[in-house]
Amino acid sequence: MNLIINGVIIAAILALAGYQIVRAVQRSKKGKCAACDYDCEAKKMMEQAKKQAM
Amino acid sequence: MTTVALLGNPNTGKSTLFNELTDKYATVGNWTGVTVEKKLGTIKHSQVDVVDLPGVYSLNPITKDETVVTQYLLHNHPDLILNVTNANQLKRNLLLSIELLEFGTPVIIALNMIDDLKRSGHYYNFETLSENLGCGIRATNARSKEGLQQLREELVRSDSPTINQPLQLNYPFMINQAIRQASQALIADYGYPQKFARWLVIQFMNKNKVVRDYATHHQLTPLLNQQRYYDAQDFEDDIFQTRLAFIEDTLKAARQTLSTTTHVELTAKIDQWITHPLLGLPVFIGIFYLMFKLSFDWVGTPLSDTLDAFLSGPLSTGAAHWLTSIGAIPLLRSLIVNGLIAGVGGVLVFIPQIFVLFACISILEDSGYMARAALVTDRIMQLIGLNGKAFIPLIIGFGCNVTGIMAARTIEQPNERLITTLISPFMSCSARLPIYSLFVAAFFPHNQALIVLSIYFLGIIVALLMAKVYQILFKVKENTVFIVELPQYHIPRLDVIWHGTWDKGKGFIKKAGTIIFAGTVLIWLLSNLGPTGLVTSIDHSFSAQLGKLIQPLFAPIGIFSWQAISALFTGILAKEVITSSMMVLFHTGSQAGLIALIGQYFTPLSAYSLLVFILFYVPCFATIGTIKSETGSGKWALYSVVSSFIIAYALSFIIYQIGILFI
Amino acid sequence: MQLTFSKTNSSGYTITGFQGIDQATCQRLHSLGLQLGSVVRLVRQYPFHGPVIIEADNQQIGIRYAVFKRLTGGY
Repeated sequence: MNLIINGVIIAAILALAGYQIVRAVQRSKKGKCAACDYDCEAKKMMEQAKKQAM
Repeated sequence: MTTVALLGNPNTGKSTLFNELTDKYATVGNWTGVTVEKKLGTIKHSQVDVVDLPGVYSLNPITKDETVVTQYLLHNHPDLILNVTNANQLKRNLLLSIELLEFGTPVIIALNMIDDLKRSGHYYNFETLSENLGCGIRATNARSKEGLQQLREELVRSDSPTINQPLQLNYPFMINQAIRQASQALIADYGYPQKFARWLVIQFMNKNKVVRDYATHHQLTPLLNQQRYYDAQDFEDDIFQTRLAFIEDTLKAARQTLSTTTHVELTAKIDQWITHPLLGLPVFIGIFYLMFKLSFDWVGTPLSDTLDAFLSGPLSTGAAHWLTSIGAIPLLRSLIVNGLIAGVGGVLVFIPQIFVLFACISILEDSGYMARAALVTDRIMQLIGLNGKAFIPLIIGFGCNVTGIMAARTIEQPNERLITTLISPFMSCSARLPIYSLFVAAFFPHNQALIVLSIYFLGIIVALLMAKVYQILFKVKENTVFIVELPQYHIPRLDVIWHGTWDKGKGFIKKAGTIIFAGTVLIWLLSNLGPTGLVTSIDHSFSAQLGKLIQPLFAPIGIFSWQAISALFTGILAKEVITSSMMVLFHTGSQAGLIALIGQYFTPLSAYSLLVFILFYVPCFATIGTIKSETGSGKWALYSVVSSFIIAYALSFIIYQIGILFI
Repeated sequence: MQLTFSKTNSSGYTITGFQGIDQATCQRLHSLGLQLGSVVRLVRQYPFHGPVIIEADNQQIGIRYAVFKRLTGGY
């Protein structure tokens, strides 16, 4: 029983870490830093303008 | 819900006003372009939204960040425009006000920095101003919170603003006629409201690039057909002259003279030294030396050491005991104590140093020094085909390269912006600080600030040299736009400094919980797993094998430890991860322990070579992504990765190989 | 060349034209309220033809030496 709980905790930490890496890579592709969450309207507007231009 | 748009020239205290009015905090700086993008807030206890837009001189944008404002007006409909002006420089501030008044949305003009005006011995009759301009006038001083309560009440009260007529200037007959014709066609054929149509025509005549694109995009033939005629008649110039004459008349009518006050010109006194033609540069370097001295010798390091003692001592032994007592298996204990606490904690102990450095940068931004820095460095920057303004994104890059690259948007020419973007990663960002700090403490205990300063300056020098190379490659002409406004100095305000520091530094703490955590777990996994599964000795792990495999490549630059090489790999996730990886790979929980250990693997020379390599080698993921999105091409991002690796290798090779001849 | 400067007093200059200055710089100077006939004060000059600080309407502005020369009719 003890071993299972240990295993679950380790798995959870590993999964969380994996998720964070995937997320960071995806964010980087969009040109964002892991530190910046700021998604203001201006950014959205600019992205829209970009799409329209294309 | 009403929306108030905050608009005004740069350096009018717009962001300070925004922060005083709303709940949300926008970054403030005494430098053009601190608000690179739009920020949103809500007035306390009300239903009023406030939008803070980048400062602009006119609605016709020159730089990328300025287009945000015109775009906003074209596509959004604020209920009220709060036009923030610098009361002391009303003449040119009103040039923008006129464009806003013509837009037709109700406007309130805030004469901010009213104290500066009074001190100069002048005042304006608000009734005359209000009558001539057709809008409300309020006096404020955002820094001392003067007049803010009234302004806030007024904004909240103006839930249903009275419709006022847009300002109609008496333009020359030809222009008036052309405006009437074109706007009538726009109203009849496209259904535009009268006010908007008129504004659109005037902006179009004024060669407003964004409006012209808008007209092309929407096929506004009444405008497009006349474009040649407008330009041939030079309407733009006539419009400017009419506006300026109107402003001068208005100001003359409203001007009052106060009894002259005798006051000491603080700004002029400070500038005697700061912008001195010969002393300006030494003062600039001195200020930076002081910054590093504060971060590494006087304040930052002692605090970090205390934090480290706590984390590596009571915290990690306590956690280990507790984990054993609740029955955690050794693997989990190792993950938490040797992995997470050692790795993530190992980076967190550098918070004091990073925050002190950010506080210094915030003070420089808030005081108004940045504009002077641009000025004193302009002559040198001119040599490499950039202008002094490019220095500001580079300095901001000391915080984070991503924000530095974003700040490059304030640069006018596309080519210069591209060059600034490409050299930005060479600015040593705060994420690289922990590893420097560690190595200077281990190998250069008596010259910590000096060694770190040398790394920073090496970054700047290489950035400048590369810029020169790009200038020749891209054939950038020497003649570049360089106009920089020198704001009055302000005595830095503690809360603004704190918020600026927090704004820059909170990302670092956030990263500890996300990417640094993830990188630490990854390196822990790599150091505990081998080809055969779990390994008991780290020497058989993946990370050791990987490191040893490419070790010959790193030998010529003096790096013999496979631990350091593996750490470099994970560092691409985020540069802080280099430090946490080393903590994990060297199996130590404390800074002091690690310092003792790396002493066996490095000499001062090879340590310096490693630091140089880390400074340049490859931008982190986030920076690579930003380069891609800001230049709009993956090729530049790839180029940046490859070129910086070559530079890193070449420089540390030279340093190490020449160094061993003498040492 | 010094003689062709339209000096109003020891450090005051009158803007005599915008010829030869590129469009973007021109626009920005206009936005700062500078026009034909504006009087500016020369505050500071950096060595090696570095930037020049001028003052007009209570504000100090740093501009390039070449731009300053053209504004004041230097060449």
